[in-house]
Amino acid sequence: MFRRALLLVVVMLPLSWAAQADTAAAGSLLYEQKCAACHTIGQGDRIGPDLRNVAERRTEAWLVRFITAPDEMIAAKDETALRLVEKYNRIMMPNLGLSETDARAVLDHIQAVSAAVPASSAPPTPSTPFSKPELRAPQSTIFTAFLISSVIVAAVFAWIALSTRSPAEVDVKRAYGWRKAFFGSGVIALVALLAATAPRAPYAGAETKPDRIVHVAARQFEFVFADEPITSAADLGRAPTIQRLELQAGELVEFRVTGLDVNHAFGLYGPQRQLVAQTQAMPGYVNRLLVRFTEPGQYKVLCLEYCAAGHHLMQTSLTVH
Amino acid sequence: MRGVKSQTLYWMAITFVLFPILILLGIYMRSVQAGALGELQGWFYPMMTLHGVGMVGVWYVASMGCVANVLSKYVSPSPAIGRLAIVGSVAGVALLLACVFLGRFAGGWYFLYPLPLKGEWPLWSAVTFLASLTVLGATWLIWSLDLLRAIASKYSLPQALGWHYLSGRDQPQLPPAILIITVSLIASVAALGAGVIALALFYNEILTGAPSDALLMKNLIFFFGHTVVNLAMYLGVALVYEVLPHYAGRPWKTNKVVVISWNAVLLIVLFAYFHHLYMDFVQPGVLQYLGQIASYASAIPAAVVTIFGALLLVYRARMRWNLASILLVLGLAGWAIGGLGALIDSTISVNLRLHNTLWVPAHFHTYMVAGLVFLVVGYFYHVCQEASATPENVGYHKLLATLLVVGAYGFFMMFYLSGAYSVPRRFAAYPSELAHGATYSGVAAAFAGLFLLGFALYVVETGKRWRKALHSGV
Repeated sequence: MFRRALLLVVVMLPLSWAAQADTAAAGSLLYEQKCAACHTIGQGDRIGPDLRNVAERRTEAWLVRFITAPDEMIAAKDETALRLVEKYNRIMMPNLGLSETDARAVLDHIQAVSAAVPASSAPPTPSTPFSKPELRAPQSTIFTAFLISSVIVAAVFAWIALSTRSPAEVDVKRAYGWRKAFFGSGVIALVALLAATAPRAPYAGAETKPDRIVHVAARQFEFVFADEPITSAADLGRAPTIQRLELQAGELVEFRVTGLDVNHAFGLYGPQRQLVAQTQAMPGYVNRLLVRFTEPGQYKVLCLEYCAAGHHLMQTSLTVH
Repeated sequence: MRGVKSQTLYWMAITFVLFPILILLGIYMRSVQAGALGELQGWFYPMMTLHGVGMVGVWYVASMGCVANVLSKYVSPSPAIGRLAIVGSVAGVALLLACVFLGRFAGGWYFLYPLPLKGEWPLWSAVTFLASLTVLGATWLIWSLDLLRAIASKYSLPQALGWHYLSGRDQPQLPPAILIITVSLIASVAALGAGVIALALFYNEILTGAPSDALLMKNLIFFFGHTVVNLAMYLGVALVYEVLPHYAGRPWKTNKVVVISWNAVLLIVLFAYFHHLYMDFVQPGVLQYLGQIASYASAIPAAVVTIFGALLLVYRARMRWNLASILLVLGLAGWAIGGLGALIDSTISVNLRLHNTLWVPAHFHTYMVAGLVFLVVGYFYHVCQEASATPENVGYHKLLATLLVVGAYGFFMMFYLSGAYSVPRRFAAYPSELAHGATYSGVAAAFAGLFLLGFALYVVETGKRWRKALHSGV
């Protein structure tokens, strides 16, 4: 009898552990695929609230109901749900199609991670606004060129308008001569501009060999860096991702950028807070963006293609040493 | 609504009501970006969508209403189709208001696939938005085809495109406005056709679940959106050719250069939209460079033929200055300055630094507001003044124009400055690194308020004449 009981324990215990491990893995996977785009556990609010120790703030029944059918709870005017919608800029959590079992697995995962996250790493204080940066080239050159050419146009219009104060007949043939000269010089200027700028187009050739390739997957509302391609949301949580992207100055880096749901854009801002480069993140396509990092520092990535309510909050960063 | 001419007065009334409301939405958006009205931030993206579709739609129909009026001088557009255009546009606007205010639809005016189907708004609101565009697109397509039919009843296609001028003949005489309207409407039909295909693919996905190709959809949507906006501008330019000679006391006739120029536009305008896809690196490279060439090429006929021709017309002329002629000349200047901003941004290597920053709304607001709007409201005033023969105070008109110019260019300058500083467009709030964008937004809202005041005074000045024109049965 004792032997049989012992045998049962020996057989069942690993099975139970295996089942628990499966649930934990499922919770982690679901969290990465469905929740991580808008929430953190212990790293502060993003699009939605920080979920650290969320089980201490709400009942399990409420959480399961909200995770499985947030749209129904908002439609039913659940007081807490409505308060959350108001607090987070009326960005409503979508129905993610999760079952009750899924919701419990996600909650278990959040609970486990919450316990491991030290209290000191909980919500950072809001950052103070930066001062206005210096306008640097090439943007400063572009802006100056625009201002000068606009002032010239305005001056010509003003001169023509003022000329009507002293009316006279105009020598049309002479004016057509001026038009020919204007046409000729305009065409030459545009062809020269085309010839000077076309070689600087940012498109990567097939033969280009970067020092490093970084895969970027964009989805509402996060960027994910990885060493391997991520082509769908189902890859998230399965393939390893890069939590902190660190690059070396002087490296030629190729970003292979794709979108997992809608169009986004990978807008790379340098340490001086000006756009260095960008490319679109389009579903079903991979854009190859080559960047040679010449300046060390903290770079910010912003989404530059409107992608719904959390668009302006969709960002990440990378460091160049 | 007796005829096409009196329908133009209805288009004016619609514009006088809707434009200030849409300006207020713009001021609301800049105020939210400035950090004010925080409690209303949740409405930013739905209002951005309404502001975009509304502005494009209002100025498209306003310019169409004007050219229908111009055409009625030479040919006979159908008054029944004119009525359909008004009813269809109002129905489309009603659907648009329903999806935005009841469904909080916020897919953006350019409804970039697949966002309308994947936002936080309910599916019914996306379907209502697409239905709104379908009603508007179908109505405008029928309207465009009717105007082309009216032109075809008097001129064959080669004649309407002025090809007989190329072989040295100037009979039948073709008013430049007819040439430009023909070119614009042909391209408009092509653009609206692309819009119909894009909408059909959306409906297909809603009904069958079959997804479309994101790059193909992007090409269709930008071909439709860019071309429709571009053509509205050209319709405004047709008004200059028609009305400016009246004030300058000099003729402005079609000749070989004008014909070559506007026939070239018909070709160029179909390829310029590629510049919207520069940052889609998977688009075939040849199309990217074609986009830059077509964008540069579109500047030549505009600057060398139309603007040079208009300035030559005005130079040392016995000009009769009033609100109409002042706004028409200012409109050409706005077109030129906005065009410079656009030309700079249409350079691929520059677009890498400016794409989807506030530089983009900077240049399109310049040629839409200080360009197209000035041309159309100048024409509105001209029509009302001609019908009512009311005494004019030119000094007051100059003051009004100054108010509009200061408001508009102060507002644009904040966009240009923000764009140069890489502040993104379509952001409800700025990250702390770009907090200076909020300061520019606040200043821009103040200048937009000044512009709104100027426009309100313009409506009072033109409205008096509009009432007389309505009662005299224009």
